[in-house]
Amino acid sequence: MSLALESRLAAIVGEKRVLARPSELRVYESDGLPGYHHAPRLAVFPATRDEVIDVVRLLAETKTPYVARGAGTGLSGGALANGVVLLGLHRLKRIISIDVENCRAVVEPGVVNANLTAATAPLGLHYAPDPSSQTACTIGGNVSENAGGPHCLKYGVTLNHVIALTVILPGGEIITLGNPDGEDDGIDLLGAFIGSEGCFGVVLDVTVRLVKNPQAIRTLLADFASVDSAARAVSAIIASGIVAAALEMMDAPTIHAVEASIYAAGYPTDAAAILLIELDGPLAGLEEDVARVEKFCLDAGARGVRIATDAADRARLWQGRKKAFGAMGRVSSHLVVQDAVVPRTKLPAILAEIGRIGVARGLTVCNVFHAGDGNLHPNIPYNANDPVESAHVHEAMREVMEACIAAGGTITGEHGVGLDKLPYMASLFTPSTLTAMCTLRTVFDPEQRSNPSKVVPIHSCREWHAAPSARP
Amino acid sequence: MSSSAEISALIADARARRMPLRLTGGGTWLDAGRPCDASETLSADTGVVTYEPGDLVLTVRAGTPFSEIQRVTNANDQWLTLDPFGVTTGTLGATVATGSWGPLASAFGVPRDHVLGCEFVTGAGDIVRAGGQVVKNVAGFDLVRLATGSWGTVGMLTEITVRVRAKPEEDCTLAIAAGSVGAVADWVRASVHTPLAAEFLSPALAQPLTGSADASLLVRLGGNSPLVAAARNAAAALGDSRVLPANVWSKLAGIEQPGAIVFRVSAMPARIAHVWARALELTEMFGGVAHATVSRGVVRCILPPGESKELPQMLAALSAEMTLIGERLPASLWPLATRARSTDTLARGVRHAFDPDSILNPGILGNT
Repeated sequence: MSLALESRLAAIVGEKRVLARPSELRVYESDGLPGYHHAPRLAVFPATRDEVIDVVRLLAETKTPYVARGAGTGLSGGALANGVVLLGLHRLKRIISIDVENCRAVVEPGVVNANLTAATAPLGLHYAPDPSSQTACTIGGNVSENAGGPHCLKYGVTLNHVIALTVILPGGEIITLGNPDGEDDGIDLLGAFIGSEGCFGVVLDVTVRLVKNPQAIRTLLADFASVDSAARAVSAIIASGIVAAALEMMDAPTIHAVEASIYAAGYPTDAAAILLIELDGPLAGLEEDVARVEKFCLDAGARGVRIATDAADRARLWQGRKKAFGAMGRVSSHLVVQDAVVPRTKLPAILAEIGRIGVARGLTVCNVFHAGDGNLHPNIPYNANDPVESAHVHEAMREVMEACIAAGGTITGEHGVGLDKLPYMASLFTPSTLTAMCTLRTVFDPEQRSNPSKVVPIHSCREWHAAPSARP
Repeated sequence: MSSSAEISALIADARARRMPLRLTGGGTWLDAGRPCDASETLSADTGVVTYEPGDLVLTVRAGTPFSEIQRVTNANDQWLTLDPFGVTTGTLGATVATGSWGPLASAFGVPRDHVLGCEFVTGAGDIVRAGGQVVKNVAGFDLVRLATGSWGTVGMLTEITVRVRAKPEEDCTLAIAAGSVGAVADWVRASVHTPLAAEFLSPALAQPLTGSADASLLVRLGGNSPLVAAARNAAAALGDSRVLPANVWSKLAGIEQPGAIVFRVSAMPARIAHVWARALELTEMFGGVAHATVSRGVVRCILPPGESKELPQMLAALSAEMTLIGERLPASLWPLATRARSTDTLARGVRHAFDPDSILNPGILGNT
């Protein structure tokens, strides 16, 4: 059976683009989250839209489960294909069109996020969602995860930037979600698809909105002697109504990791926390907002506020932030990058609670996160080969998730549920809500072959009143 | 006034009786003529559930009218940046259920861009709580987007959490003798400024709103003082301008008379001049008015009440070359505002899964 499937896939994409040997598949047994290792049964790498269509239809014909994967930078184990077929889409990397007049682009799913902005920058446009992995992650992966990034505070997440998708459903049918030729109405299947973590189908192309580059940008670095005072500055800025383009926080362990790495950005190493704040827009009125933000920081206890002097200085400040996860790679062999969100007024309390949890478990927690959204990333460097330390990390993460839920927050703001967050879904949602999610998935994928066993814990769902295949 | 549990029981009872329900908020759009094969109505309850100004997040029961939301948020110099057409007795639930929007969508987007969480009751009577109270959330499948704009067909909205915003330091409305919609579109595309709203008005609409006999741009600028001053200077390049009181926006929202025929046409934003020309031709022929939300490429047409022999044919021609969406139409015209899509089967599947006996607003989305 497997041999037959392998040869039929090879007939579509070529022999070299189907991997079946354990040594070849080992590369694909993890994504950006260490601690989970599940090798696929086969991996197939189509290069064109037609090849993707043929592959998906073959998988449908043979009732074969599969997992679509972009660059594999996901941080929730969502792209692991445990014993099923891995459908790699990174070769579909063509920017199909850039339409300056309508401020949009059509891209294949494997286009790397940063490459789209690089292509549109000379035209005065950019693609706004900017996850920290943007130099590697793909637009298709961003759509599947509803990815965010520092600048989504002002500009919105992937959902707000996708106009339309062409999708092949697990059954092989090709549909267009959204209306590329005008206003859309009716049931928002485009909105439902974005962030569905590969469970609803495979993206063939994405029509995205492009945003005008701002006339002026000011990047501020505020230096605090305590995490609490930095959190209070965040609250003051949010409440003022000034919409920062980005508002990021890094604590002392993160600063130390960055400054000891090749990504050193000149952050003050004696600070307990720093805020990286970006304001952008028309030049008129910008300096007034900068002055107000500076005052909010100083009033909250900042030791100083520095404004980037030029584009190179700004890029350096951002490099430290965006490469912070990479910098932590020097500290230990493994790193768990967590993701949770709390109401913004709860930031000071939850940061104190996370600190307490780390101390109690003897772990170093590095916080580097989107403070303006309340989107936390408490990261723990550790050695996954040490079972005792791994258990401590696991327990600490569970406590952090429970604390965020108790604070009125959620278990993921931009990384997705994947495998890693499955255990917390039943704490966050009612059985009826989880059942509704199962039901929606069944409409898109009646056989539940697309990224099986992810996102919603099936055992938590009541049996739905409708038949498994609800489609008429 | 009904709690979610009561609404759940009422829907379960209606399902047992196979009695279709017409779901309503304030009932202000029931005369829009949308087809709906239901004789019993079910209304959402009202009231603010939680409001945390520091988080810029508001949760209300779905039947809460905009007037109440404005009262509560005004006290904290905040606002909900949704301004659907109609009267302020309209409810947030109806706005979210129908995906309705107004001029502020230019800067802030439509309901799907505002809703953070919601509770709805499915056609089986199940109470679903989707999303949450935080501004970023990707936990599980996005049932919030599914419910938003679904016209109640996946469930009756009972509670909604939205993001609110701090009011701008200055908020200034100008009427500008802008000449052509194309010039305005070029300006919107090229300018460093993003107006809170920019509506291009047909001459017959400009007259009662701005006093001008010519097509005019109604533009709303917000921000701190230097920013608004600079934006005003920039906008002046479009033509002579003068400041108008902010209530011109509520006048625009309530401009259509009872029984009016209202629909929107759209295409890609760069085609706005063509869409406008076609829409204006039609509305003027019938003695109506039109206004364009320039940045979204959408033109809203308002015709006086009364059917005519020519209108169906003209609407059919319009819908063949651009997207036509109905707001208020005579029953006979609704099929023209329903376009076939590759997602129709999927949409029917969703509706069937969430409302197995078709008791929630049956027929309201046409054949989809």
